[in-house]
Amino acid sequence: MSYDPIAPAKGKLQTMSTATTLRATFLAISLAFASLAVAGDTPQHERHELMEGVGEAAKVVGGMLKGEIEYDNAAAMESLQTWADAAAEFGGLFPEGSETGEDTEAAPAIWEDRSGFDAALAAWTEAVDAAIAANPATLEDAKPVVGAAFGKCKDCHDTYRISD
Amino acid sequence: MRRVVVALLAIAVVAVWWITAPSTLSVSDLPELSPDPVAGERIFWAGGCASCHATPVDGKRARGEDKLILGGGMELPSPYGVFRVPNISPHADGIGDWSMTDFVNAMQRGVSPGGRHYYPSFPYTSYAKAPASDFIHLKAYLDTLPAIAGRTDDHSLGFPWSIRRGIGAWKRLYLDPAPVTTSGAADPLIKHGRQLVEGLGHCGECHTARDSFGGLQTDQWLAGAPNLEGEGRIPDITPTGENIGSWSDKDIAYYLESGFTPEFDTVGGTMVAVQENMAHLTPEDRQAIAAYLKSL
Repeated sequence: MSYDPIAPAKGKLQTMSTATTLRATFLAISLAFASLAVAGDTPQHERHELMEGVGEAAKVVGGMLKGEIEYDNAAAMESLQTWADAAAEFGGLFPEGSETGEDTEAAPAIWEDRSGFDAALAAWTEAVDAAIAANPATLEDAKPVVGAAFGKCKDCHDTYRISD
Repeated sequence: MRRVVVALLAIAVVAVWWITAPSTLSVSDLPELSPDPVAGERIFWAGGCASCHATPVDGKRARGEDKLILGGGMELPSPYGVFRVPNISPHADGIGDWSMTDFVNAMQRGVSPGGRHYYPSFPYTSYAKAPASDFIHLKAYLDTLPAIAGRTDDHSLGFPWSIRRGIGAWKRLYLDPAPVTTSGAADPLIKHGRQLVEGLGHCGECHTARDSFGGLQTDQWLAGAPNLEGEGRIPDITPTGENIGSWSDKDIAYYLESGFTPEFDTVGGTMVAVQENMAHLTPEDRQAIAAYLKSL
């Protein structure tokens, strides 16, 4: 085995780079938490998170309507309850001053036509409440009432959300 | 010498006049069938007529029953200038006085009853790829809709686009009734989808990039394009594109029916009106569109 003058130095360099990587990772994680904490306070972030939850619930009950998931009353009702809870909170998350920032998809129309936005949100709330009250036992029962609530998602997004 | 120049100029003028002359169909070119307004309603939604020709309500696109009020008036901004959408209701200010031949010539040859070229903002280059029988039924359906008075102003276009006669030369380059693609030619579902996507649905008009003369670049068929009406891009809808490449046939058909993506996000932008039209088609139509897109 021949002597290689570079080998020890190489080993040392690797040690150093590992430490640097670790330090950078810790810094990145703490920065990420810090920015999350800040972002968590903004209405833009709160309403975004709320809609993410609505979307997750939509995948479950929507999958059932589409025929990809077997219809299950309890799971469908859970999705609808997530929507109802979100609907109750959503309207309060668009204060003056939160029109832009954080890549918000909220359209200026929300502030220009607040009563129209409130009406669109109320229409969704009403459709969700009606679907919950119907407590559909079968997929055939669920299709019209849940479909109506899905339709209200689309109606509101069409006017009050910026589409990419 | 002067005589030669004059003669050459005269030949050039005649040649240009001939090249740019409108080419039309005559009554004998039309298939013999009885116009069926019920069949025509499906053609109306497949062709997306209302998306441009329905009169806007309070400055916004028409919704619901208002989509059947075809008085025109919508303005389409574009890099060539502003196009103003005309009245196509069955009123004398619209298409009320048109013969069936007039109508099919407008839809498939881009020529008005008076023999003028239409600008290709009206997607007759796509409609030319659909069967003529579709438009016979469509006219029968349009004739059942409310007659609306009023003509819209002419387009405001920049030079040289403002020279209407020049469209005749443009049509020689870009107006072709032949299909754009041939993939899956033996499959009846794909063939049906091709007629809807390449023809009536005129999907390529937005989803395919245009060359510097405004003609579709068919070698980049449905592979996405800059949004001519505003910011951003119109998505690539080929199976290799990142937008709907991962979607199944069923996902595409369900999106066109419901307006929901596989992630259960909603359809957005100018596609909202298109999806609402597609929702009026039959499940088989939507499956055919999906099968065609997956075959690309």
